[in-house]
Amino acid sequence: MKKALAYARATDTCVSPKSFFSCFFVLFVDEVFMLKNYLKIAFKVLLRRKFFTFISLFAISFTLIILMVATALFDNVFAPQPPEDKADRSLYVMGIRLQGPESQSTGPAGYVFLERYVRTLPNVEKVSIYTTPNVVYSFWKGGKIKSFLKRTDGEFWQIMGFRFLEGGPFTAEDEKSANFVAVINEATRRKFFGDEPAVGKMIEADGQQFRVVGVVGNVPIFRINPFADIWVPISTSKTNAYKSQLLRGEFQAAILAKSSADLPGIKSEFESRLPGVEFPDKREFNTAIGGADTMFEFASRMMIPSQQMESQPRKLLAIIISLMVLFMILPTVNLININVSRILERASEIGVRKAFGASSWTLVGQFVTENVLLTLIGGVLGFFGSQFVLKLIADSGLIPYAEFHLNYRFFVYGLLTALFFGLFSGVYPAWKMSRLHPVQALKGAGGSR
Amino acid sequence: MTKHLLKLVWNRKRINFLITVEIFFSFIVLFGVVLAAVYYVDNYRQPLGFNYENAWRVAVEMNNRAEGSHSSQSSQTDINAPKEPSEKAEPPSATTFKQLMAAAKEFDEIEGVATCTVTPYGDGTDTSSIGDDSNPIRYGVSMVSDDFPQVLGLTLTRGRWFGKEDDGANYRPVVINERLSRDVFGDADPLGKELRRPDLPPKQEEEKSTPMRVVGVINEFRKDGEYTAPDNFLFRRQLLNNQMSREPNALMLKVRPGTTAEFEEKVIKRFQAIAKDWSFEIEPVTKMRETANTFRLAPLIAGGLVAGFLMLMVAMGLTGVLWQNVTQRTKEIGLRRAKGATARRIHKQILAELIIIATFGLIFGVAAVVQFPLLDVIGDINSRVFSLSIVISLAVIYALTVICGLYPSWMATKVQPAEALHYE
Repeated sequence: MKKALAYARATDTCVSPKSFFSCFFVLFVDEVFMLKNYLKIAFKVLLRRKFFTFISLFAISFTLIILMVATALFDNVFAPQPPEDKADRSLYVMGIRLQGPESQSTGPAGYVFLERYVRTLPNVEKVSIYTTPNVVYSFWKGGKIKSFLKRTDGEFWQIMGFRFLEGGPFTAEDEKSANFVAVINEATRRKFFGDEPAVGKMIEADGQQFRVVGVVGNVPIFRINPFADIWVPISTSKTNAYKSQLLRGEFQAAILAKSSADLPGIKSEFESRLPGVEFPDKREFNTAIGGADTMFEFASRMMIPSQQMESQPRKLLAIIISLMVLFMILPTVNLININVSRILERASEIGVRKAFGASSWTLVGQFVTENVLLTLIGGVLGFFGSQFVLKLIADSGLIPYAEFHLNYRFFVYGLLTALFFGLFSGVYPAWKMSRLHPVQALKGAGGSR
Repeated sequence: MTKHLLKLVWNRKRINFLITVEIFFSFIVLFGVVLAAVYYVDNYRQPLGFNYENAWRVAVEMNNRAEGSHSSQSSQTDINAPKEPSEKAEPPSATTFKQLMAAAKEFDEIEGVATCTVTPYGDGTDTSSIGDDSNPIRYGVSMVSDDFPQVLGLTLTRGRWFGKEDDGANYRPVVINERLSRDVFGDADPLGKELRRPDLPPKQEEEKSTPMRVVGVINEFRKDGEYTAPDNFLFRRQLLNNQMSREPNALMLKVRPGTTAEFEEKVIKRFQAIAKDWSFEIEPVTKMRETANTFRLAPLIAGGLVAGFLMLMVAMGLTGVLWQNVTQRTKEIGLRRAKGATARRIHKQILAELIIIATFGLIFGVAAVVQFPLLDVIGDINSRVFSLSIVISLAVIYALTVICGLYPSWMATKVQPAEALHYE
């Protein structure tokens, strides 16, 4: 009680506005002075109730960390980031489902299918066809090196914006004349050659010899389309069997449209071509289902079970958002609880301040400052905490070449949510209490119910 | 007494409502994690059915899957080999597979070799079903060669494994697991019977094809490992001759204990020399198991960590709120003390109130959670696992609230009657 009185004296002796306007005016004039004072008090109050402060900070920063890690993982898979820097006008045909009277099969398409039905799409700037990454081994200087190998074409390098550390991509010409050339990533260069440059040197992979023409930065494994350790031309395949693979195979395609406005047209054109697919044996398969998708649309196709394997990006987004909200509810309720308790505990302090002539607005100003300060400290802790956790995940090696970036937009959303509920649960009761008669407030009447 | 306590709780309904809400959501979150954990533990305790030690998988990619050769890959009906005369030539891949197996047996380090189409802990699955379309009995399938049970140490419970004696028979020999036998035949002995639902007329395509006859029963084969739910499984016989209907995609090797990774290169070099156009990928099954289990457990561990921190946060918040409640009720408690209530009774009162509040939250929590199976949110989780998870979550939440209440209620016992009287 004594302490509360001391605080009251420190702030209120010079302020005694009667009406709303004068109060506002005084607040405005003395803004700088008041803000400094508010901050001082806020700090003191936070330090006085260390336990409550700790709980609030823990809740805010912990919630932010989870939110940040989740969005970073999400972005790592879906957000447009290099090498997929033209994601706004890119589509992918990553798999098709084939249905027949007795069986169905879902997986990457055959080379011929993509050549026939994707390569020929209208309003398209470029189409690239590539295999899913295969595990291959190289026996190198007495050791074994395991890498992912992707076979692709010259267009691949024009659709994806790879960052070349050395040399450059192979070309459509290399693909046509089946040159044994390879682009490797940084990690592979280190495994083969240590820190020395690799361009011009030979590597062995899966029993074949390739001349390295370029070295690119590592691509995270979740960027399913560009990801590999070693990229070589499709025509270097061990056999020519892929040229007769119609439906099922190991190929995917990336489509680069001339502009993002053409994407819907390309999608519907591709889907309208599917009923016309020629099946070599209708007793095995007679229907093809699939689509030209963005990464997220494709994920919704695969994750939400449905007979026709439709793309339902909205439904997937709704599921993700509701999970997020479900997760956020508990910390929010906790925060509200703590805040309400804190304010109730300070009922007598509010009473004393009122008795010394503090207006409701002054009190509200003080509590707002306190809450903002608390949220900001929590935000800073959350910021560094999430950096730390993301680094921990990246260093754990669970996800090869993982590269996480904080999503600042979501960081701000998280902070604003914390601030909103902080204000709603901390300032609103305080404001209501400050409207009470000082005597009642002093007796703690605002708190018991 | 309870009525009185209820009244006390009701009197402070606003703050108690918030606590109830918090306990409700804590229960839901905790239940989600506990359910997953109990499910995994329950699965883990059941037999795996095979021995992954010293088994190596060699994945075989033939690089020549032209349309003609793989049209015969997944459908069931075209395996009517015995009906066809044997004038068909042996496919070259069958010859190569036989050469590879012979080459593998030449190594001293390799004790056994078999082919398969589905590898334990591997990515691929192959499922089929029998029975009517509305309520089919599904099962996983792998086509394996005759030595497969020795390589992976499968345990036969009834009958025999398929072998040479089935050559040229007018049926397709299959070995099923006990679970599938129970689903199809009930308690009857499946040996020598055709694999189809006895109570249903044969389907059209079943009529056409050579019947599958059960020659043996194994106790279990859980392809995806110890954390997945046990499922039905069936082995079909892989033929490597002119009647081959489908190509194997892997060789399983049983290596001598203590064989090191250096040996992998020798095997691959030897295989590569036999099949120049093919690609091979070799990995010990123990390593595949590690990878598969890591990926299966990682979400649970991450979820568990998050839930753990959430519970810690809730516990601290609850302690703070209760502490504050007690300080606010100094008057009331002091008065009770002054009227002769013992410290013990005060202690009991505070805890009892807390348990009542928690019970409200938990009633709603349980009511919400039992909707999950009705709404089909979670897959096929049996009711034993489900109810055990509810019990565990209830126990944890009660324990947590009581622990959070201990310090504040102890504080309440320290309230002196004089303090309360001093208030008025």
